[in-house]
Amino acid sequence: MLSMSTSLLENTKLAWQFYRQEYHLPQQKLLRWTQAILLIFMLALTQSSFSVQQYLTQNLQGLLGADAQISQRQPFTSQQFNDLSAQVEQLVATQQIKINFSHQDSWQYISLKAVADNYPLQGELLTATSLAGNTEQSLSGPKQGEIWFDSRLFASFNLKIGDTVEISKQEFTFTKLLKHEPDRLMEGHNVAMRAMINIGDMEKLNFSENLINYRYLLALDARQIPSLQEWQQQHLPAAQLVHKQGNHPLALFWQRTENFIGLASIILFFMAAIAIEQIALKHQNKEQYFSAVCMSLGASKSTGIVVSIVKWCFSLLLLLPVALLAAAACHWLMIHYLTDSFPNLQWQWHYALSLKTLVFISSIFALFYLPVWYSLLNSSVGKLFNQAKNTASNLGQKLVTVAVLVIVVLAYSDNALLTMMLVTAMMVTILLILLLSWLVLTLGEKLTKNLSGLLPFVFFMMKQRLVSKSTQILGVGLSAFLLLFTLMLMHDLGKTMSSYQRQHDGNLMVSKATNDQLSYLKNWASENNISIRQNKSYMHAKLIEINKQSLAEFNDKPSESLATFSREIRMHWNNQLPSNNRLLSGTWWQVDSENWQQISVEQEVLTDMGLSLSDELTFVIAGRRYDFTITASHEFKPGNGSITFWVQMPTAALAHIQANHYSMASLEVSEQQQPLLAELWQKFPTLRMVSLQQMTERFDNILAMITKVISGFSAIIILLAGIVILASINAVEANEQKKNSIIMSFGFNRATCLKLNIIEWLITAMIAAGGAIVGTYLAGVLIYQSQFSLPYQPDFIWLVSTLFIILACVISLGVYASRKSLNSSIRQLMAE
Amino acid sequence: MSSTTHPGNIQASYIQLSNISQSFALNNTKVTLFEQLNLTIKQGQSYAIMGPSGAGKSSLLMLMSGLEQPSSGRGVYVKGDLKNKHESSLETLRPDIGFIFQQFHLLPELTALNNVALPLKLRGDKKAINKAKVMLEKVGLQDRINHNPNELSGGEQQRVAIARALVFEPRFIFADEPTGNLDEKSAREIANILLNCCKDSNAALIMVTHSQVLANKAEHVYHLSHNGLIKVKGNNCDVLPVELAC
Ligand SMILES: Nc1ncnc2c1ncn2[C@@H]1O[C@H](COP(=O)(O)OP(=O)(O)O)[C@@H](O)[C@H]1O
Ligand SMILES: [Mg+2]
Repeated sequence: MLSMSTSLLENTKLAWQFYRQEYHLPQQKLLRWTQAILLIFMLALTQSSFSVQQYLTQNLQGLLGADAQISQRQPFTSQQFNDLSAQVEQLVATQQIKINFSHQDSWQYISLKAVADNYPLQGELLTATSLAGNTEQSLSGPKQGEIWFDSRLFASFNLKIGDTVEISKQEFTFTKLLKHEPDRLMEGHNVAMRAMINIGDMEKLNFSENLINYRYLLALDARQIPSLQEWQQQHLPAAQLVHKQGNHPLALFWQRTENFIGLASIILFFMAAIAIEQIALKHQNKEQYFSAVCMSLGASKSTGIVVSIVKWCFSLLLLLPVALLAAAACHWLMIHYLTDSFPNLQWQWHYALSLKTLVFISSIFALFYLPVWYSLLNSSVGKLFNQAKNTASNLGQKLVTVAVLVIVVLAYSDNALLTMMLVTAMMVTILLILLLSWLVLTLGEKLTKNLSGLLPFVFFMMKQRLVSKSTQILGVGLSAFLLLFTLMLMHDLGKTMSSYQRQHDGNLMVSKATNDQLSYLKNWASENNISIRQNKSYMHAKLIEINKQSLAEFNDKPSESLATFSREIRMHWNNQLPSNNRLLSGTWWQVDSENWQQISVEQEVLTDMGLSLSDELTFVIAGRRYDFTITASHEFKPGNGSITFWVQMPTAALAHIQANHYSMASLEVSEQQQPLLAELWQKFPTLRMVSLQQMTERFDNILAMITKVISGFSAIIILLAGIVILASINAVEANEQKKNSIIMSFGFNRATCLKLNIIEWLITAMIAAGGAIVGTYLAGVLIYQSQFSLPYQPDFIWLVSTLFIILACVISLGVYASRKSLNSSIRQLMAE
Repeated sequence: MSSTTHPGNIQASYIQLSNISQSFALNNTKVTLFEQLNLTIKQGQSYAIMGPSGAGKSSLLMLMSGLEQPSSGRGVYVKGDLKNKHESSLETLRPDIGFIFQQFHLLPELTALNNVALPLKLRGDKKAINKAKVMLEKVGLQDRINHNPNELSGGEQQRVAIARALVFEPRFIFADEPTGNLDEKSAREIANILLNCCKDSNAALIMVTHSQVLANKAEHVYHLSHNGLIKVKGNNCDVLPVELAC
């Protein structure tokens, strides 16, 4: 027992000594970098995504303020109200409207919420009497004649408690500062400033019914949800039902982000795996040599292994403090960026989670080091000094490693489907690269046999060293594939984003004006010499069925379009293709067409939803059902104004549909004319206007955030790809150096060696490119639609040119990194 | 590339070193390996260089082969042709030299045959494989041509290396302790093969060795030490070969 512990102590000392000695070796440096990057990235990523997930769940559980919510554009009939009350434990009515609120000389677009006397249903309603004052819980909402403002509104209007404000000629007394509404998140992502009044006052304000969003908060048992859903489908098909178990409005956004992060971590894992695998190859020989020395000095076989393991632990342990600190900093930065999308998100370190991540990553590192220890176990002094390297026999070992790796990654990632898709694409790429290597090298050797020059020789050499060469080609090919796929995905996600960025004309958008408002607006504009740039009419329509199937039945993949269709959309009518649209398929209706039940759908929406021409869509418009057939598809054409609609129908349809008409318009209001707007809003508080700055600002923020994420992620992948290539060169450097010296001993000079080297890298890059492009294509087919709701239309020119750039870098890096092996001489082969 | 040499028909090529010295700076002190050496190596003859470790034998090989430059002195390569002789610097020796090493230095992934065929392939010789086979037969390895180096014994590996050095018919073969890694029996075999093959190819053999047995087989034997290069066997011996008397 005693001897064992002392020997362990001895071994630890020995391991420490060797660790110090090897610290500055290039392959140790590479190993440290790879492990550090992976540790930092995974730690920061898991911490951040866990924080956001926790934030969302907490909000869902504690802050929904209800078990379920039904919202729609009309109030319930009393029949419906009674029906529902009988089904649920409790019901609270709320109403919400967006108005332009003006007070003294300033104005603001706000969200006005009216609540019944039994509000709140669940959760805490928090108020205060001053910005710095204590927050207290209110057991009910404002009484009639009272109004509560949120802090932002309070601050921007310079209000005081007790002030009187006016909305649509009605007077209200400002009594409380609204700090927190428990049902806030149920309303979706909404950044408008807020005010709250009693539902009784809402009637007096006399807003038009169809501008109000009616929301009913329900308390019920989770088991009642299916029957509730059935009742809603039957009686209120156009209403929207949200419940705790279902998707939060932010869920789609989050799911895309989460899938992207998941994909990123899987890709990084495989990259790191390749890098570590290439490095381990070289370590194996070193460790074996060391073990042989130990054994020849009379130590047991286990000494070598123990020292190797302890040394490995040292290298990992000493990396931890740095990695943890850097990860905490990265985590902080990520949370900082995310607060734009998730207000009040807090930086927090989750200890248990970080421990789990650490254990997980360490075991991955150990997994890749396992072959080294395994080889020590099977070694003997004689075998080692014979320098017999078991190159071919470790194929089985590699397969086992890959299998274990896949299992580990599957266990770790919570998106098994995505992982499997990527693994499939990788496997195909691996097989393809192996096949290509064999084919190209065999054919190349055969076909160039009768040529003179260096090419046949390179083919001959590569073919002879097929095993070691194909490992290198695999390393380069897989990293090129992962890099190319990442870049492509980012490119396409970015493009999707920027296609939203439409050219605007006019700096003020009116997104919803009733006919009265519009005619007033026209007069007002001409009086004040303001030009109305565009003006287009629409009505609200809610898509409920596609080919007689409900939306949920027809399409279960979450997509941007589906999310939008779950609410009401704007239906535009016209006789001619708008000048800012382009016809993509089908035919536009004739002016005098009898058939009014046809529509044109925006192309991206069409693809996104999986629709095609001649599909039948059923809309509810003003409470009645109408069937339409898709006869055309269109897309936005820049240059002729920015107001465009997803769904358009013939003007003839107006004769058959009774519904309110609204208008969208854009105006050009100069800086000096801005004060005139206050008058307009005073008259029409419900007129929806957005100034261009406000719109582009929000968009620019999103784009900036995505750009940041994209570039950060690309940087990490490029860094790792570089490491993989360096590692794969480093792994064969000694062999290359010897090969070059031997070639020089045949009477050749360094220039010949350099040429050989360049040709070899060219062939390596070509084979790797073939694998990478097929792998990328396959991964795109598998992953785009199912994981990101993006149509997959690979841009081959972009792909090939990107690949070309990657490979040019690979070749330069390869030739540059092998310069050391070119710096060899016959002298090194001679006996010392 | 290298034309086949026919003894008698042409004049032999030779390497001539005149007054060469080699020294280098080590920690700001000048270390001199040797000074004012004179030596002529003739194609078709065999030379052995002996001497203690660190005397500069390997360095001398590097100088002779034109791969390194001496600190002072001159080396010329006189290339015998059909009619006349060209005199040129030692750098032009490059295509006409081959090496054999103590550690064999075969490429581990290649079979014996492919190792031998390598220099020919590199020169674009289409009959590389056939020529390599003939050469391997010469060194007595016709049965092992498809074996990888790690399946061959040390002696066999060195035979492959000899075949590889001779297959492209260089005029000068430099061997640095070719039997240093072999047991006595293999060493003797290798010595015979090496000398015979070089004779057959009409190549000069310059070998550094610690083995008296091997050295004795050479036509000229030199001893390199801090006293300089002393010829102990061959025409015009500088001193009586004391060691030989023992
Ligand atoms: N360019 C150089 N710089 C420094 N030391 C050198 C250089 N060339 C040779 N040496 C040293 O000179 C000595 C002689 O080397 P070498 O020619 O290999 O001797 P031998 O082959 O006779 O054992 C060695 O100690 C070697 O380290
Ligand atoms: Mg030496």
